[in-house]
Amino acid sequence: MTDWQERITAGSDPSVRAEHTLRYAVAAPIVAEAATWCDLGCGTGLAASWATDGPFGGRLVLVDVDEASVAQAAAHLGAAGTTPLRADLNDADDRAAVRAAMLEGDAPRAITCFEVLEHVRDLPAVVELLVELTIAHETTVVLSVPNDAFWAIENPYHETTWSAAAFDELRAMLPEGHVFAEQLPLRGSRITVHGEASDAAPGSVEPHEGAVASHFIAAFGPAARALHGAATIFEADQRGERGWTRQRESNLAYLEAELVALRAALRATAAEMDDWRRYIHDLEDRLGLPRAGSEEAMANERRAGS
Amino acid sequence: MKVAFLVNDLQLSGGIGVVVQHALQLVRHHGFEVALVLVREQDDPHWAYDPLEDLRILSLPQACEQRYDVAVATWWETTFSLFDVPAERYAYFVQSLEDRFYEPDAAERLGAGLTIDLPVAFITEASWIAQTLRDLRPDALCMIVRNGIDKDVFAIAERVEVRLQSAPLRVLVEGNPRSWFKHVHDAIDAVEAMREPHHLTVVCGDRVGLGDVRADSVVGPLAPAEMAALYGDSDVLLKLSSVEGMFGPPLEAFHRGATCVTTAVTGNDEYIEHGWNALICDWDDRHGTARALDLLARDRALLHFLRANAADTARGWPDWRQQGGLMALALRRIRDAAPPDGVAAARALTSDLSAGVRLYASHMQQRNEFAHQAHAVSRLRNHPLMVRARHVRDRRWARALTWPLRRLAPGMLRRLLGP
Repeated sequence: MTDWQERITAGSDPSVRAEHTLRYAVAAPIVAEAATWCDLGCGTGLAASWATDGPFGGRLVLVDVDEASVAQAAAHLGAAGTTPLRADLNDADDRAAVRAAMLEGDAPRAITCFEVLEHVRDLPAVVELLVELTIAHETTVVLSVPNDAFWAIENPYHETTWSAAAFDELRAMLPEGHVFAEQLPLRGSRITVHGEASDAAPGSVEPHEGAVASHFIAAFGPAARALHGAATIFEADQRGERGWTRQRESNLAYLEAELVALRAALRATAAEMDDWRRYIHDLEDRLGLPRAGSEEAMANERRAGS
Repeated sequence: MKVAFLVNDLQLSGGIGVVVQHALQLVRHHGFEVALVLVREQDDPHWAYDPLEDLRILSLPQACEQRYDVAVATWWETTFSLFDVPAERYAYFVQSLEDRFYEPDAAERLGAGLTIDLPVAFITEASWIAQTLRDLRPDALCMIVRNGIDKDVFAIAERVEVRLQSAPLRVLVEGNPRSWFKHVHDAIDAVEAMREPHHLTVVCGDRVGLGDVRADSVVGPLAPAEMAALYGDSDVLLKLSSVEGMFGPPLEAFHRGATCVTTAVTGNDEYIEHGWNALICDWDDRHGTARALDLLARDRALLHFLRANAADTARGWPDWRQQGGLMALALRRIRDAAPPDGVAAARALTSDLSAGVRLYASHMQQRNEFAHQAHAVSRLRNHPLMVRARHVRDRRWARALTWPLRRLAPGMLRRLLGP
């Protein structure tokens, strides 16, 4: 059964946790300068709490379609003034409630909207809300979508499908001067010499031309230029990776062996059938009967039938 | 919001189908009031697009009595009427650079090319068109909204079935045989040059234009659901077009688990990857194309790899609902944007017109020179001696006398004397 990892929890895959946390980390300077921060699709708030230095000092609006998640996020983020809001962005009234909650807070404002747009049916309404808050209400938005074209799987929770081309289309609808970023997955390794304290920071990684992004990010609004590049490393889930790799190899080996056995059985059966056919034809020849399957034998059968 | 899409007709075609789909999405999901405006008298009844009853279909005079937020031309000839329709803003939905549909010295080629100089905002459906328009018209607002796919009709199979070598390779060729740039007959010829067992189905709504071809099956015109079923039964779609817009048919085939052998035609780079989900063949390479098809017929593991990846590519493509949302955003953005820069448009128009007039003048000069030469030949042919020679040329003695000349220069006498 596929685990779609739609909610980040302490037990989420390390790579998923790392990439989600990094998005909040690059948006942190924008959030830090805001008097009001709205996290659309806040989930349990874990990734945001890992990426921020202590509680948010201003007014925090936490929005998610799941009420329990909003409550958890409020607990994890622990801002001074928090407005928890259960809202479905597909619903016009809920969107209006989000807008009102945002405008109750002071400017400047910031909105993080990570991995939300793919869950939204009424995409134009949500995008127009974000653009309107940006243009008219001193709000900076940072949003991201996954590169679905590269996953090559159909996620049952996604209402829209995203790719580099689809994000280009969206960018054409965003205010001019917006900042565009791509998130690239990294793999790494580390050597620990026992008994020696060492700096674990890896050297810089230059993506090669044609590197495939896992997510696309855009920031727009007055503080959009504060979006900065960053990279993170995380401990690989060696046990998990070993588990699914071995499972796949084991299944493949088993199926290949089964195929060999089935082919051998088929050949043996075909040879046996040939022996039987020869034996029956020999008997038919001795008895002076037409050979089974011959036109004469089939004509006899038809006559007998009629 | 009130939008008018100007169309030439509502006949079955990819371009009209796209306009109808966008119009439906805008009406059903975004609260738009949409009219399809027929800009010319209709000779034939509309194609039976299922959901047309949900849309308002108006004649041009009827549309001129209304006022719209945005009026949208959808084909270069519809721009002739665009500015007759009262609207706050004017837009042009460019589905291809339509001048390429015409031969180099056709007047339509110049006309179609000039329409992209109009003072309008552009919406287009392919990255290559968007890039071209931005290069040609940096002053104009240009947005890209790719075509969606009807995922109910072109449903993606959960698992692409493996097809072993026991059956011949099922090849599908589709397109309008009268469109020179579709190269339908070249595709049929390439299949005929195959060495491996194959089964060719040609989809064509114009049997007269298609003529006699060697195919196992000729069908069409087909409704989208019938086309989807046919793609599902096919292994490979063969497209040798030299002009395409968004290049929709292979994408529809991908959804149904068929791969594609294609030229590197415009639009292919939106989703086709050679050796991953399709094979790209050379231009005008009948035998090379046949060998690519033979390879797929022989190597069924490769065929399955391409078909499975084609289906994965299809999964990442958006549906009409998502793209309808983007079209709604684009139209609202056009409505809210400042009017286009008329001076910049006029500059582009006069510049292109000037180049077009020079080209036309050179064509006319060539034509006049040819006419002058033809006149001289005509005078020679009408000379009484030539007329007399024509009367006697088929007599035995005349044929005997002219035999050496006919051997040395076959056809010369016919050209000189006329038929």
